Amino acid sequence: MTSDEPSNESRPPRQQAARGFWSEAWQRFRSRKLSMAALGFVLFLVLVATFAPAIAGTKPVICRYKGTIYVPCLAYFDRTFEPVIFAKDRFRGTYPANLAEKDPESWAIWPLVFQDPYRSVRDNEWPGEPANPARDQGTPSRRNLFGTDQYGVDVFAKMVHGTTVALLVGFVSMGLAGTIGITIGATAGYFGGWVDMLASRLIEVVMCIPTLVLILALVAFVDKPSIWKTMAIIGLTGWTGIARLARAEFLRLRSSEFVMAARAAGAGPLRIMLRHILPNALAPVLVPITFGIASAILIESSLSFLGFGPPPPSVSWGSLLNDARSNLQMWWLVVFPGVAIFLTVLSYNLVGEGLQEATDPRLREARK
Amino acid sequence: MVSYLIRRMALAVVTLLMITGIVYGLARSMPGTPLTIAMGESDPSRKLNPADIERMKKAYGLDKPWYSAYFVWAGNVVRGDLGRSISRKQPVATLIGERIGPTLALSGSALLLTWLVSIPLGLYASARSGAVDERVVSFGLYVLYSFPTFVAALFLQIIFAVWLRDTAWELPLFGMRGDGITDETSWFASTADMARHAVLPVICQSYVSLAWYSRFIHANMQEVVRQDYIRTAKAKGAGPWRVLVHHGFRNTLIPLVTLLGLSLPALLGGSVIIEQIFTWPGMGRLFFESIRERDYPTIMGLTFMFSVLTLAGQLVADMLYAWVDPRVSVE
Repeated sequence: MTSDEPSNESRPPRQQAARGFWSEAWQRFRSRKLSMAALGFVLFLVLVATFAPAIAGTKPVICRYKGTIYVPCLAYFDRTFEPVIFAKDRFRGTYPANLAEKDPESWAIWPLVFQDPYRSVRDNEWPGEPANPARDQGTPSRRNLFGTDQYGVDVFAKMVHGTTVALLVGFVSMGLAGTIGITIGATAGYFGGWVDMLASRLIEVVMCIPTLVLILALVAFVDKPSIWKTMAIIGLTGWTGIARLARAEFLRLRSSEFVMAARAAGAGPLRIMLRHILPNALAPVLVPITFGIASAILIESSLSFLGFGPPPPSVSWGSLLNDARSNLQMWWLVVFPGVAIFLTVLSYNLVGEGLQEATDPRLREARK
Repeated sequence: MVSYLIRRMALAVVTLLMITGIVYGLARSMPGTPLTIAMGESDPSRKLNPADIERMKKAYGLDKPWYSAYFVWAGNVVRGDLGRSISRKQPVATLIGERIGPTLALSGSALLLTWLVSIPLGLYASARSGAVDERVVSFGLYVLYSFPTFVAALFLQIIFAVWLRDTAWELPLFGMRGDGITDETSWFASTADMARHAVLPVICQSYVSLAWYSRFIHANMQEVVRQDYIRTAKAKGAGPWRVLVHHGFRNTLIPLVTLLGLSLPALLGGSVIIEQIFTWPGMGRLFFESIRERDYPTIMGLTFMFSVLTLAGQLVADMLYAWVDPRVSVE
């Protein structure tokens, strides 16, 4: 019996291979212009954070010094990346004059904006340019695009370098919250019974404690505050919504036919949960995670704003706003970081909504 | 019904014990004690000598490990005693009583404003669903919903207290009372003064929930207008306004009423950030200060109050839901 083609002529002609769930969801997501613009903005922030030292800084992106090529700007990511030779030759962080003086043969490619996020640029540090204005004199200008703060530090450089924190806070804390939430929710939903009872109580307890109360208590509890600890705390407190949704999804799916089939085939509970249920439960759980990123960024900036943020060397948008509180006449300290936080939160909310509409079949039905 | 209530209450007591236990443990593990923080930080010369510290520790029960001190605290709460604040030398109940008025004034007006604006706005959006103006309004609400409160507060402060200074539009930067207001000032003048101080905080506290409620009403209405009874109402000749409000909106009231229960803790708990920015002497600020001062009795008193309100709010929401919607039963 070789019935290759003629046997099923009644079947409608095949147009293309059936698309998977995610590719179909992506198709629908793409048709929402606002969500796509928001996704574009998030990608733009990723680019800014990655290339922050090349956008604003006082260290050369690439330079040739005494016959060797160096990348001093990497020091902005981690201080230990600063090539030892510059410390030995007593550069003390000032590159332009020292490079020319100590090796006339040297050349360097400089960042787009010669400003430092950690200190004020001194007079004539860049040949022919005056020092940054300090106190309330630093209105936005050609040299200081977003103005300077009360110590003369460039706000644009601070914001470019603070992008890393804003992005990391969202991803790290929600990565942690997602892991905890899915684990607890999945266990509760799949096993049910007293496990569910215990987990549900735990979720309820953590939900009942007001978030900011819990976070403030935890922040005070931490000895040496750092941005990583803040992220961990936001993650440790923000998993309840995810857990509730994961629990509901696992509860619904555990009695479905494909799970029964997997069990009949001899799959263990861990395998069923990870390989069979999780992929089907992922879409509804991803939505609160995306919204969670937005709220994590909000929480981090409000913590920094209240003065509970990471200590000075690390820059975050919220701490710029905290500086603005006592200098309200310096409007640029409010407007630029404020708009940046707002746009980032808005973007994640729009991406989350797009994701929800693209993956939830009930909403799609409702639109018709 | 009664058995359901009893079961919920019993669960609530267990939850309450867990919450207060966790917060008590956390509070006691924070570095520093109320004695060292309050006296030592402001003025080193006022640092207590070790013998005095020991004596005061004993008086406040700080010499016991946190778990046994917790049971002493819980026993006192059962007897109706929230303890005395260490840094303010006043009973915690008195402190809460002082602060609850300003918070209620702030969040009560914010809640009222939210409902007064969001219901017409949500109905308007539903009536014009799909039209250009509805899309603009909806997007505006979405933007408002994503706008961080503390950024908005700073913007408003810059506009009304710095740029509009010495004009008729100037509004106070912070505080609840102006300098010239004393006990002798007439009731009308002092209320007007407080209202002027409350404008900015009330706006900040209401705009996010306003946007959220409007979107909520709009989304629910979209669901409702597809129901058969709406088609029936239209078919029998009811006008568009009557269909929208009488047949449609009354059915979206069901989820809305339950939201009222869930807003109970926010109503009395206040907002830490807004009260902090505008130095409004309310509950949120009291909580923030008590954490800074490591004032365990106040932290615990407020946590206890927040949790009771949250649990009560959830219970009220469930009961209201069963009450307004005959299809739902609490069993």
